[in-house]
Amino acid sequence: MAFEAYSSALDDADVESSEIDGSVVCSATHYDKQRSPAGVVAEYLGLNPQPTFNVEAACASSAVGLRTAWALVSSKLHDVVAVVGVQKMTELSSEEIQELMGRAGDVMWESPFGTTMPAYYAMYATAHMAKYGTTEEQMALVTVKNRKYGMKNPNAMFQKPISVEEVLKSRPVSAPLKLFDCCPNADGAACLIITNAEKARKLTDRPVWVAGLGLASSPMSLAGRKGPLTNFEVTKNAAKAAYQMARVGPNDVDVAEVHDSFSITEILNYEDLGLAKPGGGTRLLEKDETELGGKIPVNIDGGLISKGHPVGATGASQLFALTKQLRGEAGSTQVDGAKIGLAQNIGGIGMYAAVTILKA
Amino acid sequence: MGFEKFGRFGYVSQTKINPLLSYLEKGRIAATKCKKCERTYFPPRADCLDCRHSTIEWVVLDGKSKLITFTQVFFAPPAFQPETPYLLGLAELTNGLRVFAPISPAVDKEELNPGVELNLKVAKGSRNNLYYWLE
Ligand SMILES: [Zn+2]
Repeated sequence: MAFEAYSSALDDADVESSEIDGSVVCSATHYDKQRSPAGVVAEYLGLNPQPTFNVEAACASSAVGLRTAWALVSSKLHDVVAVVGVQKMTELSSEEIQELMGRAGDVMWESPFGTTMPAYYAMYATAHMAKYGTTEEQMALVTVKNRKYGMKNPNAMFQKPISVEEVLKSRPVSAPLKLFDCCPNADGAACLIITNAEKARKLTDRPVWVAGLGLASSPMSLAGRKGPLTNFEVTKNAAKAAYQMARVGPNDVDVAEVHDSFSITEILNYEDLGLAKPGGGTRLLEKDETELGGKIPVNIDGGLISKGHPVGATGASQLFALTKQLRGEAGSTQVDGAKIGLAQNIGGIGMYAAVTILKA
Repeated sequence: MGFEKFGRFGYVSQTKINPLLSYLEKGRIAATKCKKCERTYFPPRADCLDCRHSTIEWVVLDGKSKLITFTQVFFAPPAFQPETPYLLGLAELTNGLRVFAPISPAVDKEELNPGVELNLKVAKGSRNNLYYWLE
């Protein structure tokens, strides 16, 4: 799986393994059977004896992998680095996944009460609904939109449309979130080739530039977080850093990939990234502003809700979608003249967030 | 028995704040307070973030709190499946600190909303385990 992504990345970048002088393997290793997966991945890709190591930041692993590779190349320690995001979740039984999911939070103070990944996001949903009057129907619009674009993505796990009704009728997972408010677990891989400006210009006449890298953290425990829990401070902090570094603002973004692990997350992300005012995320959806042709198309590759969420590969998969957009290669979902793309990736239950801004 | 006795299903046995269990046994919920700078911590912690001192004292909480948000879990980790669905909440105590806790099944879900007043009380499990919940 990693080989397929890696091989097509090499073809695309027109480089060979011998030119890659380091690899960063990104996965949430607790979901892997293989311990220290960088070892076996580098071997299979033919990347020995070059340096390799794992980067883990839960669902944001490969966004942090890009940050790592960017630093390795900027410092001139390396010339060409492969960022390989990969996750094989189906080797675990659903019992094992549920057990792991139960330890997604603080294992001393929160997991002993039966927390789950959806439970944490559901608590943000409850708070957002109470403060802004957000409804379950509005949340369902995220799933409806993303599934619509999933149909246009041959790599997506779900290729079927869904109605608001069907989302509302799906079985409860953690109220107010229901099955189709949640993205599915998946196996997947995505690969990025990172190099310096000089080499990039030699390799291609259409390089995509890393313009902004924002990364932030929040307390892992929900009890340690402040405010009404109607937004993710961690995204706001990462976005601020990324916008500053790229010298752009939310209104300059032409196309975005945001972390739709749950329908509510996408709504919060609009607000935290400054694409909408606090409480205004649902309005953006209802006015079709995040559709292709809208003010700011979001997750028009289908998002995690359609593609599935192979934890360690997700960040790189978002950046892959943006790269296609910025090169004008996105086919039926191409945003005309897209020059600036933004990807936002939340790690775990919101303790990490990465915001990456790419420019054509 | 160590700290794994804490919670509905505990994961951690050795901690610096095991005395919390003796408070829970006596029906009380206690926070820690730094003896040097007096910062209070709940959940309790043994090392002060602000002044980096590790001499603490225990202070009993009144348990009065306001709900910030909640959820009802239907799809649970294996150890918790027999009890589904169950309620989990985040509440703010009168001293401004926050607590993540189950909400007693005696509480009517329809009456829950951010802002409602609840009390943090000691709860006992069937395996002699101890914790607190909101009621
Ligand atoms: Zn202190």
